[in-house]
Amino acid sequence: MPISPGTPSSRSLLSRRGLALLAGVLALGLFTAALAARAEEYSFEPSETEKKPYRFGGYAEMRPILFDLDRGAALYKARFYDRRVSDPLSQQSFTLQLDAGFEWNAWKAFARIQNLLDHTYDGWSEDTKPYEAYLAAKPSPSLAVTAGKFTAKWGKGYAWNPVAFVDRPKDPDDPELNLEGFYMAGFDFIKSMDGPLRTVSFSPLLLPVDHGLNRDFGESGHINVAAKVYVLLYDTDIDVMVLKGDSRPDRFGFDFSRNIATNLEIHGESAWIDDVRLKKVNAAGAVSESEIDAWSGLVGLRYLSRIDTTYILEYYRNGTGYSGSEAREFFTFVDRAYDAYVTAGNAAPIRKAANLTQGAYGRSNPLRDYLYFRVSQKEPFDILYFTPAVTTILNLDDRSFSLSPELLYTRITNLELRLKGVLLHGGRGSEYGEKPTDGRLELRLRYSF
Amino acid sequence: MGKLLWILMSLAWAAGAYAVDGAEILQKVDRNLAPASYELYRKLINIEPNGAKKEYVLYTVKKGKEMVAGVFLSPASEKGRSTLRLGENMWLYIPNVGKPVRITSLQSVIGGVFNNADIMQLDYSDEYDVVGLEELDKEYVLDLKAKTRTVAYDRLKMWVDRERVVPTRIECKTEADMLIKTLYFKDIQDFGGGFVRPAVIETDSPLYKGYKSVMIFAKLKLREFPDEVFTLTYMPHIESLRQ
Repeated sequence: MPISPGTPSSRSLLSRRGLALLAGVLALGLFTAALAARAEEYSFEPSETEKKPYRFGGYAEMRPILFDLDRGAALYKARFYDRRVSDPLSQQSFTLQLDAGFEWNAWKAFARIQNLLDHTYDGWSEDTKPYEAYLAAKPSPSLAVTAGKFTAKWGKGYAWNPVAFVDRPKDPDDPELNLEGFYMAGFDFIKSMDGPLRTVSFSPLLLPVDHGLNRDFGESGHINVAAKVYVLLYDTDIDVMVLKGDSRPDRFGFDFSRNIATNLEIHGESAWIDDVRLKKVNAAGAVSESEIDAWSGLVGLRYLSRIDTTYILEYYRNGTGYSGSEAREFFTFVDRAYDAYVTAGNAAPIRKAANLTQGAYGRSNPLRDYLYFRVSQKEPFDILYFTPAVTTILNLDDRSFSLSPELLYTRITNLELRLKGVLLHGGRGSEYGEKPTDGRLELRLRYSF
Repeated sequence: MGKLLWILMSLAWAAGAYAVDGAEILQKVDRNLAPASYELYRKLINIEPNGAKKEYVLYTVKKGKEMVAGVFLSPASEKGRSTLRLGENMWLYIPNVGKPVRITSLQSVIGGVFNNADIMQLDYSDEYDVVGLEELDKEYVLDLKAKTRTVAYDRLKMWVDRERVVPTRIECKTEADMLIKTLYFKDIQDFGGGFVRPAVIETDSPLYKGYKSVMIFAKLKLREFPDEVFTLTYMPHIESLRQ
């Protein structure tokens, strides 16, 4: 649940203007898309196939959310210990993403800016950042050179990617959201051939963390080197990747993906991280730090049935995650810290707990073993562009889980409507039982232009 | 006795020489529809029973027997999505999601009656054997059987115009002879380069009663591409092939 700090009234005014603009774009989009969808004749005009050197696009999105709070949960206490918020708690999020590209011969420049406007219990907040901004050159079909801010997109997993060494982590609750990139420079060299080894590509990257660049990647003052080799061998996609540098611990891994039938795909990832430092806290609040060599892995499959039902199943082993007992120690500490705040007014321990939830304990999935299962049905009852789905993420360490039914409707060109519910279930001391909410209901309207 | 055997063998050879060869017709159909390597633009339209429709514009390149790649140019919500087929392997690259994911021939990246096999189609003669041939006044009727179990439709029944040697109608069926969809080839046009072929394919399906999908072809032309274009690493760059 994104929570934002309070904002001054001038920003609030600006935010409302931005909100009005977004609402206008959405309304106009709805109107024109509905008109277009009703047109009677079809044609294919030459202008529709003309290549333009520039492109503009993006989307406007509105996302009202209603949270069902769990006031007894440890993470609720850590977040709201010094204030009382209404239950259910509403939040409105508005996003405007602008894409601009220009192509000239072998050169391409591209920028993607995202503006996020949130209205929470704390008022309005705004955040604008470049998600991508890069210059690319393509002197031949075998070679592409790119420099700037972009995403590498490593890995084959749907919900998690332990081998995505130079990408930000995906949100397994919404894995298809686009991610902010890092500032990097690199190239792709591709070679195709006949025989069982059909493709080889080599993609090295330089990722500096210095002078304000990539500050959230790791320790500053270093240039990190990453590389990926991809092969298509016996109809199997295989990647081997490595990251070396001093901003993060060294790591290497591999992934694979293969169709073992026309309707069944299997995939997997494996990642080893050297000397990763893991911070733990016990029930008394004592913090200890240890250095471990961690292994993370993922295996999964995607199956399409005869009636267009898609099943995605993944098992994820998070090598840098906490065990069930380590997580319970942390939750016990939060409960005790909260009690100390309520009974004696001592805020120091609960502040410490709140800080810890900003780190490893606050990750989307901070424990070790997870199962992801998603079932989606394309166009049931002959309703075109309608896709209902149910997703569950099960924590195998403590048996707590999330269950997310959703309805997706994309009948109107460029307009996507998604209604999604999330139910969290688990006892005290379990991951999903100690989240700040018992669930949420959200509607997402996204108009692409 | 020996002479009689020779006469019978000669008659059999002569009959074979003049008989219509179904496999040859199918190969002619393929070459009349498109060169082995080409680029083309297509508009795909899904039409609902109430007349509401949704349109997609797709740029496609093909090389040889088994390499096909494409990228969606519109609508805005789909722009930049690219597809790749290498034989039986198919991938979809969605710019927002990132990496290419494997997809199957029976899925549809656009919804509606056309599936991925229709959108990334290979030559019919590369995927099917002719197992039956019927000659009508103006048409041949070919019965086709998939060469492998990985092909999207187990059986096809293809009506072919005898004069132009292009399909007029194709019924797509399961192994149990259940009709999945029917393709209607319409609007013969001259695309240049010797290609005079149907510019429109309409399809309907008993599985989608009242719904119809249309595929309109434009700017079909012979063009050669290096193999490197048909790789996962190249998928984000397919649009740069457009001239």
